Amino acid sequence: MTGRGYAIWFGAAVLALLLACAVAVTIGPAEVSLTHVVGSFAQRLGLSFGEAVPPLIDSIVWQLRLPRVLTAAFVGAGLALSGAVMQSVTRNPLADPYLLGLSSGASLGAVCVVILGVSFALPAAAFLGALLALFATLSIARVGGTITPARAVLSGLAIAQLAAAGTSFIIFWAAKGDSYREILNWLLGSVAGSTWQSVIISGTALLVVGIGIVLSATRLDAFAFGDTSAASLGINVNATRWALLGSVALLTGAMVAVSGSIGFVGLILPHVVRGLSGPGHRRLLPLVIVCGALFLVIADTLARTVFDPRELPVGIITAFIGVPVFILLIKRKRSAVWG
Amino acid sequence: MSSRARILLVGLGASAALLLSGCAAAAPPAPTPTIPPVLNASYPVTVDNCGTSLTVTSAPERVVTIKSSATEMLLALGLADRIVGSAFLDGPLPSNLADTGANLNVMSDFLPGQEAILGLAPDFIYGGWESNFSADGVGERAALADLSIGSYVSPAACKGDAMPDPLTFDTVFSEITEAGDIFGVVPEADALVTSLTDDLAALEPVTTDKRTALWYSSGTDTPYVGAGIGSPDMIMQAAGLTNIFHDVHDTWTPVGWESIIEANPDVIVLVDATWNTAADKIANLESSAATQGLDAVVNKRYIILPFASTEAGIRNVEAAASTIDQLAGLSK
Amino acid sequence: MGVTIRDLSFSIDGTRILSEVSASVDTGTVTGLLGPNGAGKSTLLRLLAGIEKADAGEVALDDVAIGSLPRREVARRVALLEQNTSPSVDLSAAEVVLLGRIPHRTRLLGSFGGDDDRQVATDALAAVGASDITDRLWHTLSGGQQQRVQIARALAQRPSLLLLDEPTNHLDVSAQLSLLGQVRGLGLTAIMALHDLNLAAAYCDRILLLHGGRLVAAGSPREVLRPDIIADVYGVDCFIMDHPRGGHPVIVFSAMDTTALPTDPERGTP
Repeated sequence: MTGRGYAIWFGAAVLALLLACAVAVTIGPAEVSLTHVVGSFAQRLGLSFGEAVPPLIDSIVWQLRLPRVLTAAFVGAGLALSGAVMQSVTRNPLADPYLLGLSSGASLGAVCVVILGVSFALPAAAFLGALLALFATLSIARVGGTITPARAVLSGLAIAQLAAAGTSFIIFWAAKGDSYREILNWLLGSVAGSTWQSVIISGTALLVVGIGIVLSATRLDAFAFGDTSAASLGINVNATRWALLGSVALLTGAMVAVSGSIGFVGLILPHVVRGLSGPGHRRLLPLVIVCGALFLVIADTLARTVFDPRELPVGIITAFIGVPVFILLIKRKRSAVWG
Repeated sequence: MSSRARILLVGLGASAALLLSGCAAAAPPAPTPTIPPVLNASYPVTVDNCGTSLTVTSAPERVVTIKSSATEMLLALGLADRIVGSAFLDGPLPSNLADTGANLNVMSDFLPGQEAILGLAPDFIYGGWESNFSADGVGERAALADLSIGSYVSPAACKGDAMPDPLTFDTVFSEITEAGDIFGVVPEADALVTSLTDDLAALEPVTTDKRTALWYSSGTDTPYVGAGIGSPDMIMQAAGLTNIFHDVHDTWTPVGWESIIEANPDVIVLVDATWNTAADKIANLESSAATQGLDAVVNKRYIILPFASTEAGIRNVEAAASTIDQLAGLSK
Repeated sequence: MGVTIRDLSFSIDGTRILSEVSASVDTGTVTGLLGPNGAGKSTLLRLLAGIEKADAGEVALDDVAIGSLPRREVARRVALLEQNTSPSVDLSAAEVVLLGRIPHRTRLLGSFGGDDDRQVATDALAAVGASDITDRLWHTLSGGQQQRVQIARALAQRPSLLLLDEPTNHLDVSAQLSLLGQVRGLGLTAIMALHDLNLAAAYCDRILLLHGGRLVAAGSPREVLRPDIIADVYGVDCFIMDHPRGGHPVIVFSAMDTTALPTDPERGTP
């Protein structure tokens, strides 16, 4: 599509995202109107708007909904971006951010702290677990300093299985009573417990790592024909790959630490957006960030409203939406990638 | 080495391993209990238990109990001598049963496997949850029946069609009566039911204004709370509290904090379990910016109940009574 | 661009791939790189492109050592086309050619694909006679078309040196001849690894013959493609004649024959 067409789509996506966030903050089991929301903001800016917002409603808006919506947006953006990069670096259309054992490692870390009863350390433990898994994966995949995509994928599978077995073992060995429930929620992925701390973690990760990745969009394009082509186009293949995988690990690790392993966002969004923007990464990456955020905000809003007052883990919604979309993509898109 | 020698070595090694594991697994036999004479019983007894028909032809004498509710039930009926093993308990025994249960053979804090159970040569297994009777638990009920081991699930915990909807004290009491029939201790069962019925009738549910309550079992991001048809709601009603989730048609349910904040309950009932203490839950409530503002948190209107007393069983009346007492003790 | 190769050696995991290869390639000439499988042709091309680093020896482009240039600078001067099949590429022909502009992208934001770049890409496609398939998707193109688009991509790099690894694989006869004709017509310095001796004889100004990692012969086709040398390197018997129209050598093969007929060292066994 032309540059103009892309700009229009991008603008529309950003508008949709802002709208979705605004609506999401007003939706929920409790009765919160738009005036309440604006009033809540106004109070914090020291202004007054309409009548005073009841403190509990203010609490709901400012401590529950707003952090949750923002976290969902940042996490969705980060996961979608990570997925897009993983698919390009490994040249595998079925790659997702968790491919290198990241989510299994994070789950293992998370389960350990839940069982030990130190849940406050969960984000740190999950992040650490993700990084350790990545380190293990890359160490195995590494032969003479070069990592081929195929080897990285296979090592990631092995580490993921190992970590999953470890997680299962710990659950079996030590989980009593309701710990099962908490662990399951985490494994399915959820932004339910989002606090402003989650917002800061996910937002910072997205900003810092995301910018770096978006700036290397051109380098990702060079990988289209394989390593030798990329090298002959002047790219330092090894360094670029290490840097990109490391960035994805940091970004995904931060997101998983905050919200568990939410599936399908990183897998599906890149394909959907690629259909709109084309495969060039300089257009794909910014758009996939915005669309990922939009997707997860909508999914989470559904997760907490469809069975009011009960709440579903958002990972269930993303799967229910993601799988049909996936099937649709396979059916309609006859391209080189899908055959 | 030659392949023949190798095969021989592997075979020897395998045999040695089998022998060693056989020695290790042989559990010391449980002491033969002195069985009180069975009086006032008429057998065979047939009951429908969670959709499975159970026929008992004589009083069970070697019983394994799973979970506190089952264990405490049998102890209260004076059957301590017939219990050859207990497992998966939810907390310490209440003081009035501590003496009878002093010599309880607690096998494990977790659900034991089938072999460990069979090593005790039981003739009956009384389970507190239906899920206790799974293939990787104590064994499936049909398989146990083939081995002439009777199995029984606390009726309050039946899933599916047999689930009590809602759970009432009548259901709980009828379990006691049924246990009396099965174990041939009808007078003791009747006495227990009468005693509990009297206690229940003597309860004075609170009638003050502030009576809405949240039953908070576990969960930090997504709280797991007592809903409309299980033991939490039953106990709260007996105490005169109104469950803010009474309209949710489930025993327990996960909810969002938002619904809780909007309802702003007057009182929060906290379940105290070793794996999830009341103190932890209070700390969560008081440290989270979202819940700090709740009336019950600000005024520390907390009711604390031990987990074992909240599962459907003989301690529910006590739990309701404790609730009423604690409510009276709350200043505002 | 003139290329000077001095005592180049390269090993992988202890296996010697190239041993002390020295040669020079003049600007504007088309050089054929020949040798049986495993002789080291692909490796030599990768060393010339700066993708691999030699264990010993040196490659110089116009007297500038390749090791002293940053990668991107090398990519602006040298374009390498490996033999590859990439069925899972989801780009149009134009987008593929545009990739060749990556070495020329702006430093700050890494942007490329502006109007200038698009013009270069269009010109490159025209140069290889592929303007009509500009918007076709890569995987819908035939082998010959894909090769041409790849060459256009290499051209978009605006290289001074073109390196091609077996460019005529998977191509039918007419595509082979057309492609090589186009390469000759470009006027760039080109080094092509080929396995077909007759194509090399017809389209190359000079031949470098590799055998077991060593350069065993270098010179014009007539000088290098001699029956004794061919028998030595390839283990086949042959007969050389002149092409009736072009005048270049034509090699006619036969399997090695033990019953020896009198042989002419210049002409070979009749």
